[in-house]
Amino acid sequence: MAKIDLRVNGETHTLEADPGMPLLWALRDLLHLRGTKYGCGIAACGACTVHLNGAAVRACMLPLSAAVGAEVTTIEGLGGNHPVQQAWIAEQVPQCGYCQSGQIMQATALLAANPSPSREQIRTGMAGVLCRCGTYLRIEAAIQRAADALRPQDDPA
Amino acid sequence: MISRRQFLARSGGLCVALSLPLSSARGLAADLPGGGTLTAYLELQPDGRVRLLSPTSEMGQGTHTGHAVIIADELDVELAVIEVENPEPADAFRRNGSMSSGGSWGMRGWHEPLRKAAAQAREMLMAAAATEWGVERATLDTEPGYVVHAASGRRLAYGELAAAAASLMPPADPPLRDLALARYRGRPAPRVDIPAKVRGEPVFASDVERPGMVYACARLSPVFGAEVAGMDPAGALAVPGVLKVVAIAGGAAVIAEHSYAAIRGADALDIRFAATDHDRLDSATISAQLRAGLEDDSNAIEARREGEIPATLAAADRILEAVYEVPYLAHAPMEPWTCTVEFDAEGDLHLWAPSQAQDRFLKAAAETAGLPENRVHVHTTRLGGGFGRRLGAEGIPGAVMAAREVGRPVKFFWRREDEFGQGWYRPAQVARLRAGLDAEGRITALAIRTAGPSLVSSFFSGGLKAGQLDGTSVQSLRDSRYRAPALMIDWVHVPQPVPMAAWRAVGATQNGFFLECFLDEVARAAGRDPLSVRRELLAHDARALKVLDTAADQAGWGTPLPEGRARGLAYVESYGSLCAQVAEVSRKNDRVIVHKITCALDCGSVIMPDAVRAQVQGGIVQGLSTALHEQIVITGGAASNTNFDSYPILRMPDAPLEIDIILIESGEAMGGVGEPPVPPTAPAIVNALAALSGVPIRQLPLS
Repeated sequence: MAKIDLRVNGETHTLEADPGMPLLWALRDLLHLRGTKYGCGIAACGACTVHLNGAAVRACMLPLSAAVGAEVTTIEGLGGNHPVQQAWIAEQVPQCGYCQSGQIMQATALLAANPSPSREQIRTGMAGVLCRCGTYLRIEAAIQRAADALRPQDDPA
Repeated sequence: MISRRQFLARSGGLCVALSLPLSSARGLAADLPGGGTLTAYLELQPDGRVRLLSPTSEMGQGTHTGHAVIIADELDVELAVIEVENPEPADAFRRNGSMSSGGSWGMRGWHEPLRKAAAQAREMLMAAAATEWGVERATLDTEPGYVVHAASGRRLAYGELAAAAASLMPPADPPLRDLALARYRGRPAPRVDIPAKVRGEPVFASDVERPGMVYACARLSPVFGAEVAGMDPAGALAVPGVLKVVAIAGGAAVIAEHSYAAIRGADALDIRFAATDHDRLDSATISAQLRAGLEDDSNAIEARREGEIPATLAAADRILEAVYEVPYLAHAPMEPWTCTVEFDAEGDLHLWAPSQAQDRFLKAAAETAGLPENRVHVHTTRLGGGFGRRLGAEGIPGAVMAAREVGRPVKFFWRREDEFGQGWYRPAQVARLRAGLDAEGRITALAIRTAGPSLVSSFFSGGLKAGQLDGTSVQSLRDSRYRAPALMIDWVHVPQPVPMAAWRAVGATQNGFFLECFLDEVARAAGRDPLSVRRELLAHDARALKVLDTAADQAGWGTPLPEGRARGLAYVESYGSLCAQVAEVSRKNDRVIVHKITCALDCGSVIMPDAVRAQVQGGIVQGLSTALHEQIVITGGAASNTNFDSYPILRMPDAPLEIDIILIESGEAMGGVGEPPVPPTAPAIVNALAALSGVPIRQLPLS
C-alpha cells in the first residue's frame, strides 16, 4: 500500500492503494468512475480504454504507478457533448453499449492524432476495441462524421 | 411490503393511468381489478410523463424504444414523455408463463398486448374527459397528450385526467387507432438508451453500487461440472484487502474490499477439484463421436419426411453426399458475468442482474437462499450483450451464497476466462447431406441427418426423454420452405458433458450453414446457377421467392465482377422472418475481404426501421465472425481458449466494407429481427469463397 496522487479528468485524487493495482480497478472501485469497463483483463478487447496524456491506453493492464504524474481522462471527462459523442448519437451507434466508452475514447485519441483519417486508418486505428454487437460500420461512419465536425471550416476565401 | 405497482402486476390487474400518490385510497381502490385484461404497463404522471414498464430486457436490440413507439402512437403522446423501465417479474410481463427476452419475441410478441394497453388507456382518458365535460365520448378525440372536444374547443391534458381515468374500468375491447395516424412507427426513432451509452452512464450489473458493498471474484473449476475436492484459503486471505473465502457451487468466491484484491485472492487460492469421467475429453474425440453418430441408423429420430427417399435416390441420375461440421461457440458478450446481491433488513433478497430470463434468475436465487419467491426481487440492469448468454442462471447461486455468508451486499463477478470457460455454448454439430439429382440436374431427393449433443437436454430442467427430438437440432431444416419430391430430415443424439445454451439464432446458425453450402455444392456439380437451384426448391412459395430474388437483384447476381472476386448466396428462415444474403468476397493472402453483403429481410412489418437495420448489421458481423474465427477448443475436459487472444472475434478491419439492407414489408405476421439476420451470413461467405476456389468448405471456422 502506498499513497498515490492520481490526476483524473482534471482533478487530483489521493489514493491509499497498491501501486500495482491496474488503473481500471482504481477508477471503477476507488473513484467510482464506472464508465470505464472491464472486458478481458489482458488488453485484448479495449473496453477499458482511457487516455493517458491524451493517448489511448488499456487501463486493465496499466499499473497505478505508471499513471502517477500523468493526466488520465475517462469517458466521464469528455464532457458529454464532445463532437465524437454527438456523432455517436447521430449515427445511432451503440447497441448494448458496454464497449462504447472504450470505442469513444479510442476514437477521440485517433482523431486527435489524425484529424482526417482515411477509411483504412479508421479501421486499423480502431482494431483494438472489440464490439460483439457488431456496430463497426456505424462506428466508422461516426468517426468520419466527427472528423468533419472537428476540422476547421474551410476558409471561404 | 410490496409496492402497489408490484401488487397490480402480480395480480395481473390494471394499472393504466394513475396520478395519485401511492397512499391514496382512491387510486388504490380504483386500480383493483375487476377484469383480467393485462394493462399493467403504463403509469401516467400528473405532469403528463408516462412510465412504461417494458417486459423485455434492453441488451442493445432496441425494444425499449420499440415499445415506447408502440405506446406513443396508440396512446397519442410525444415519444419524449415516455420513460421506460424494467419491472420485476409478474404475470403481466410473462409470455408462456415466463418473463424472458429471447427467441426474437421482443416486438412480435409484445406489439399487440402493448398496443391494446395503450388503446385502453386512451379510451379511459377520453371517458374521464367526457364525464368532466358532460359530453359523449364519440364527440372527443385526442391530440398528443390531450383529449380535445372539437365542438367547444375545450382540451384537457392527459396528466390532469389521469386520476379520474384511473378510477375507470379499462374497456375489454378498445378500438385501435388507424395506423395511418401513427407518428413514430415506420420512421427513424432515436433509441432512448443511446444518449446515456455515449456518456458511460448506463448502469450495467457491474456498475451497481450498494452501501457497504464488497466484491467477490469467483474461482471456478475449468473442467465442466467438476466439484470442489478441497481448498486452503490461507494464500487468498494473505492478500491485502481480502476479507473472506466462501465455498460456492463449483468453486469458491473470494470476497474483498475491491475487485483487484478479489482477483488476486482468487489467483492465490489453493483449490483442488475432483476428477470427472470426462477429464480427458477433447475436441477431436467429440468430433469423432459426432461423425460416428451420423452412421447410427437405429437411433435416428425422424423430424420430417415427404415422398419416398430410398426409391427416389435409387432412381436418381446421380447422388451427391457431403459431411459438414461446426464447433462449439461461445457467446462472448463484452460484459463478463456480474451481478449484485443484497439481503435487506427484512431478509428479502435483492438481485441486480443482466437478465434475459428474470423468472429463471428468480427461481435460482430463491432456491439457493431458501426463500419463497415473493421475497426475492429481481432488478434488471442494462445488459452488456445478450445473444442468449444471459438466459442461464448459472452465475446466480454463487452470488447468493457469497452474500449470505458475508452479510453485506456483494458484487459477484466472473473473470473473462470463466465467462468463456464455463460452457453454455452453442452445440457442436455435424450433418450428412445427400441429394439425388435427375438428368437435368434437378434435386429430386434431399436427405439430411444432423448429429450432436442436445441443447434442450442441457438447458431445460425437464431434459430430453429417450427418443425425443430436440427441435433445435433440426431447426430451419424441418420447418424450411424448401420442397423436393422426396425430403427427409432426422437427428441422432450424441450426448456430451459440455453445457450448452441458446446462442443467437440457435440451431438455424449451424443448419443454415450445412444446407446452404451443400446446395451450392449441388449447383456446382450439376453446372447450375445456385440461385436457380434455390428458386426451384421454392417455386411454390411467392413470399420466399421474393426475398431471394430481391437480394439477388439488389446484389447484381450474375453480373460481372472484378478479377478475384466472387458472390455467394444463402437463404435461411428463422423466428418467423425470411432472410437472404449475397456476399461479395475476395482473398488477399490469408485474409478474407468482404466487399459487400446484400441482405433482404422480410419480417412481416417494421416498426423501427433503423433499429432493424442495426440488428441486421450486427447479426451479419457476428455471422462473419463465426465463419472466420470462432471455435471453443476442448482439451482435458475444459475449454482451452478462454480469452479474446485465443478466441478471436471479428475486429473492425475485417468487418464488411458495405452492408446493403432491403427490408420487405410483406404484411404477414410480424417476425423476429434480432436473430434471423445471423444464419445466412456464414454460408453466403463460404459459398462465395468456394466459388472462387472451386473447392467446397465443409467445416468452420475458416481460419
